[in-house]
Amino acid sequence: MDSFPIWLSLRVALSATALTLLTGVPTAWLLARKRFSGRNLLEAVVVLPLVLPPTVLGYYLLLVIGYRGPVGRGLAAMGLELAFTPGAAVLAAWIGSIALVIKSAQAGFETVDGQLEQAARTLGRSEWSVFWSVTLPLAWRAVLAGTVLAFCRALGEFGITLMVAGNIPGRTQTLPLAIYDRVQANQMGEANALALVAVGIVVVLLFGLSRLARLRY
Amino acid sequence: MSGAVSVAITKRLPGFTLDVSWRAEQSVLGLFGPSGAGKTLTLQCLAGLIRPDSGRIVVDERVFFDAAANVDLSPQQRRIGYVFQGYALFPHLTVVKNIAFGLRGHPRGDRARRTAQVIERLGLGGLERRYPRELSGGQRQRVALGRALAIDPALLLLDEPLSALDAPLRRTLRDELREILSGWRIPAVVVTHDFTEAYRLADRIVVYENGRVIQSAPRAELLWQPASEAVARIMGLSNVLRGTVVKAMPDRIQILWRGHTLEAVNSPTRSYLPPPESPIAFFIRPEYVRLIRKDRGAPDTTHHMNLMRGRIVGEADFGTVWSLRLRLDTPGTAAQGDFDLEVEVPHLVYEILDIERDRHWEFSIHRGSIHVLPT
Repeated sequence: MDSFPIWLSLRVALSATALTLLTGVPTAWLLARKRFSGRNLLEAVVVLPLVLPPTVLGYYLLLVIGYRGPVGRGLAAMGLELAFTPGAAVLAAWIGSIALVIKSAQAGFETVDGQLEQAARTLGRSEWSVFWSVTLPLAWRAVLAGTVLAFCRALGEFGITLMVAGNIPGRTQTLPLAIYDRVQANQMGEANALALVAVGIVVVLLFGLSRLARLRY
Repeated sequence: MSGAVSVAITKRLPGFTLDVSWRAEQSVLGLFGPSGAGKTLTLQCLAGLIRPDSGRIVVDERVFFDAAANVDLSPQQRRIGYVFQGYALFPHLTVVKNIAFGLRGHPRGDRARRTAQVIERLGLGGLERRYPRELSGGQRQRVALGRALAIDPALLLLDEPLSALDAPLRRTLRDELREILSGWRIPAVVVTHDFTEAYRLADRIVVYENGRVIQSAPRAELLWQPASEAVARIMGLSNVLRGTVVKAMPDRIQILWRGHTLEAVNSPTRSYLPPPESPIAFFIRPEYVRLIRKDRGAPDTTHHMNLMRGRIVGEADFGTVWSLRLRLDTPGTAAQGDFDLEVEVPHLVYEILDIERDRHWEFSIHRGSIHVLPT
């Protein structure tokens, strides 16, 4: 069995999850705690990746990062290429999974009593410190649950990835794409083995999550 | 102890406007009034959690807020100890970490010393490693106080500090809180909607109604001379009544009420001289109405002034006193629904006079016990 797709998928999903945390958690905090113009628009845009067909998302993403797109041209000027690289797969997984982190973390932050944050402010703590010592410790469970779901979603990302990263064996062929490929080539043994690996990873992660969720703070 | 506080602010919210101004030099100031009067909003403005629309807040000669000069210190810069209603303890932190929460940035040794000192003075020893959910109501209150006091605040704010507690505990903790406040010698502002609490905790009381200050006075003055009928009603006083002025003199005032001409003492500090025939509000403390014993001969009018007759139409046992509802014998509509006066009688008197069986009484009210309420 060719293990390249497994390692590629794990690397892509981990990178995408890191990116999702870095961008999704601050967005979730903004949506949960701040009132600003354009908030409703942002709230709607955030769920688009969940409801739009993945191929549609992939199509638009390709328009942006393709060699004729605005980002693609800028990168090309620097001698870089994003479309049809593992980087594009990360981007695809990020877009496919960020809504899960944002929605879950936002719900988590919203359940934190605003008075606790007020108390921390009167005790001299900066906004940054209030977030790290009050808001996040009280909402970590929701953030973690969103993160694990996002990782699983990133691991299984298919449609967007196919559109922007292609299905290049040994380069951008992730686990789900490899399974599709093997089935198409009627190599059912290989497909079966890869599918079991995917199921195994997800089951272990979800089991770990349910154990962690039982902890108090 | 310095810590003079002066507040003069306005804040418009949808459907509510806060427009208050008061000063406090005393150690403990009470903000007293019904819920929704703007007391908590005032605390939030003092702490910098809400920005007033206009005005000025000065604490201990530091300008916290001045709309005209565009000064608005952040909550972090104000160094105010805020004890929230329901305490807002951090549920994920132990008692010791809750108390040390505001000491971040202090040297480690300093922090440990200060925390230990607070824990010891508030009698929280042995609870250091407990979480808030493992504490009793009284212990939570002390942790909240300790957390606020640990930062050595310029001013302590307490929002309904006793409302989260059960009734029997409230009274004990009210006295405990009073001792803590006077023991730490930190100026404090206490918000409460319970007059007894305000009276027990505060030296000076500011009465709020609907976003405005309707009286600000030392607590004894408020107790004996509410400035208006509105204040008397908010204080929950019994027997707030309305009559007509017969004659007002600097030292005395005669009031026609329910067919009787009552004689009351006019306030020695602010004589109130309304013209005859004008309506007037007054109140009679239920514990100062004297029932007249029937076994001692006829009452003499020089000793028993404001003599009236009535029947007991209702009663309630409050444990140490009986509260009786009297209806006067004079014809006409009763002043308070189906009765005219509420009278409080100690259990012993109730038994000696055999009030249980004997329902018709003559009673008198000393003129000093009828308090005129200027309008």
